[in-house]
Amino acid sequence: MSSSPVAGSAATGPPSGPATGSGGRHATDRRRGPGRPARRIRPVSSGARPGPRRRRARYWPQYLAISPYYLIFSVFMFFPVIYTIYLAFQKWDGIGEMHYVGFQQFRFLWDDPVFWLSIRNTLVIWVLATAPMLFMALILAVLVNSTKRFTSFYRVALFIPSITSLVAIAIFFGAIFSNNFGLINAVLTGLHLGAVPWLSNEWTIKLVIAALMTWQWTGYNAIIYLAGLQAIPSELYEAARMDGAGPMRIFFSITIPLLRPIILFTVVVSTVTGLQSFTEPQVLFGSDASTNPNSGGPGQAGLTTLLYFYHTAFDTNDFGYGAAIVWAFFLVILLIVLINWGLVQRKERRP
Amino acid sequence: MDLSRRRFLQTAVLTAAGAGLTAACGGGSGSSGSKDSKNLKFWYWAGGLSDKVVADAKTHFSDATLKTSVIGGDFKTKLLTGLKTAQTSPDITGVKGEDIASLLPNANRFLDLKTLGMDKLAPDYLSWKLKQATTQDGKLIGFPIDIGPCALFYREDIFAQAGLPTDPAKVSAQLSTWEAYFDAGVELHKKVPKSFLVNNIGSVFSMAIGQGTTRFIDENNKFIGDQDHIRTAWDTAVKPYTLGIDAKINDNTWNAAIGNGTLATELGAAWHALDISNATPGTKGKWRVASLPSGPSNLGGSFLALPATCANPDLAFKVVSWILNPENQARGFTDAALFPTTPAAYKLPALTGGDAFFGGQKTIEIFGPAAEKIPAAYEAPADAAVSVAYFNELTSIEAKGKDPEDAWKDAVSQAKQIAQRQGVK
Repeated sequence: MSSSPVAGSAATGPPSGPATGSGGRHATDRRRGPGRPARRIRPVSSGARPGPRRRRARYWPQYLAISPYYLIFSVFMFFPVIYTIYLAFQKWDGIGEMHYVGFQQFRFLWDDPVFWLSIRNTLVIWVLATAPMLFMALILAVLVNSTKRFTSFYRVALFIPSITSLVAIAIFFGAIFSNNFGLINAVLTGLHLGAVPWLSNEWTIKLVIAALMTWQWTGYNAIIYLAGLQAIPSELYEAARMDGAGPMRIFFSITIPLLRPIILFTVVVSTVTGLQSFTEPQVLFGSDASTNPNSGGPGQAGLTTLLYFYHTAFDTNDFGYGAAIVWAFFLVILLIVLINWGLVQRKERRP
Repeated sequence: MDLSRRRFLQTAVLTAAGAGLTAACGGGSGSSGSKDSKNLKFWYWAGGLSDKVVADAKTHFSDATLKTSVIGGDFKTKLLTGLKTAQTSPDITGVKGEDIASLLPNANRFLDLKTLGMDKLAPDYLSWKLKQATTQDGKLIGFPIDIGPCALFYREDIFAQAGLPTDPAKVSAQLSTWEAYFDAGVELHKKVPKSFLVNNIGSVFSMAIGQGTTRFIDENNKFIGDQDHIRTAWDTAVKPYTLGIDAKINDNTWNAAIGNGTLATELGAAWHALDISNATPGTKGKWRVASLPSGPSNLGGSFLALPATCANPDLAFKVVSWILNPENQARGFTDAALFPTTPAAYKLPALTGGDAFFGGQKTIEIFGPAAEKIPAAYEAPADAAVSVAYFNELTSIEAKGKDPEDAWKDAVSQAKQIAQRQGVK
């Protein structure tokens, strides 16, 4: 900001110094009230020292430059989000008339066992995916940080899964874990261990979805940790080594504490994204299109809350109920993020 | 310099905004004026119509411009969005069979085809199929593209191994009821242990429901999903599971199962033949088609509809009725496995010929009579939404070994909740 010539001259003030400065201040004070004296002084001051409003107005090209994002955001994200609040209190089939129903949708929600099942599914999948994901990401980051050769290759390799098409991954995982003819079951039966019905058992369904998410996002989190690791000054490590600390001690006493803000960041981001799993179960179990689409697989074991929302709104045309589902779920996510935040913050105070 | 740049930017922004406004207004006046536009926007999905017939329609109606769009992804959602304004709405659109019932409460969004000449054509088309697109006060909003008469697809070679009859007429005669069909399945599984009778019990349930004249909700918008006719269908569906002749396939392994003989039979609509032949070209000649046990049923079959904002209803109806006339429906059967909705087409060579995939069998001898005998049932707007509860519980039985009696109770209570949310009494 100070590098810009306009702001610079305003900050240092004109050569006339304190006299005009105080005059200007008077002027801005009086400008709010009625009275002509203000007007008489104003031309002098406005040229020399622009008021805050005028200064802001001067940056309009910059604001204009960033405006497309905010315009698109408000039209395609903010407005729909606000609109779903309105929808949650209506009964609407997506095309006909809306009927105001008050809190009825939320009462239905409270009594709906499938909604609670979907919340349970989502939480289980999230825990199964996030805990090993962040742990492995940290290990990988430390390993990559300590390598001297091929570092950029490792970084690219870690990042590739997160930019791979989720649909392609889901189809691939579906083929690998396929009950009767999948790769993993072929290996298991080859070793005389017996096939596992990965895609029909209540728990293995969740495990497969979690494995998919772990595979996709571990590398991404490792890259973030790696950035954090490289910000830790090497003197600390050298000092620790001089004091005779082993690699484990260094990891737990230096790396982890100094990475805490980064860990907090990844925990919050993984919570928000991990709870929004949708495409994974949709692609894995969306095959039965005409009679029972987007059911979340056998026993609805892969029915995450967002998939249930999608099914309710877009398959059964109950948009009001769908909106109620996502808002109730928003509150759940918010609660979990707050709990997470509290947990990670408290750990910081302990040592 | 500063000023001129600023002015340039201002001018640019104003020009852009102006252009946007003009475009929006221009689009509006273009299509929502008088009802004799020659430009018709035509939406359908890949495989929903014969592309060759659609291409011919463009040359046949040389005075009109058909702007066809093959819409991918979730067709109904895009249609609902498109119908919001006259500018975005198509003038002719496909409607999938599973969505037609949910659109009937908003029949005012579509033109009544009876007022455009369908009243004269109606006797040529299957009455039970027209009923699916007819509102309770008699408006017809959909011109039927195809139907899904169901049949029993079976592997002749596996039937021979198991000592069962192999000739379609004999199979149809011997496996004429669900009981007889399941008995044969037990026999078959005993002789050929790796083969099962049905891929999952949900498929049996949907067939059994389609054989009745009532479904989950009656004409008075009352929930009847807890009554005997549904319970009977449920018990029929659970039977192959308890007999151990259910392959319990509820994932994407169906392709592999159909190819390696895990599935000795397959219950499906006429269009399902294409799924089978695509999945297992190697089993060509080994499959046959017999009548569905316990009578005909229907699964799927789409419609063409004219949204109320249609730019030229008379022309649009002419296009639709040409595309779906008996000759072109027969071509649709050849090109896209769309089973015709007019019995006149069943006598055309495209349908009466033998099918090499089914060992040269003339499959129309099974599907044709079935198509005409399918019971007309009332399908309520919320019917599909309510039925989901039953299918979910049936897969729970297969996946978790849930007790069928508990599953029935949960299915009914869940279905009642969905019905209540959907405004069913």
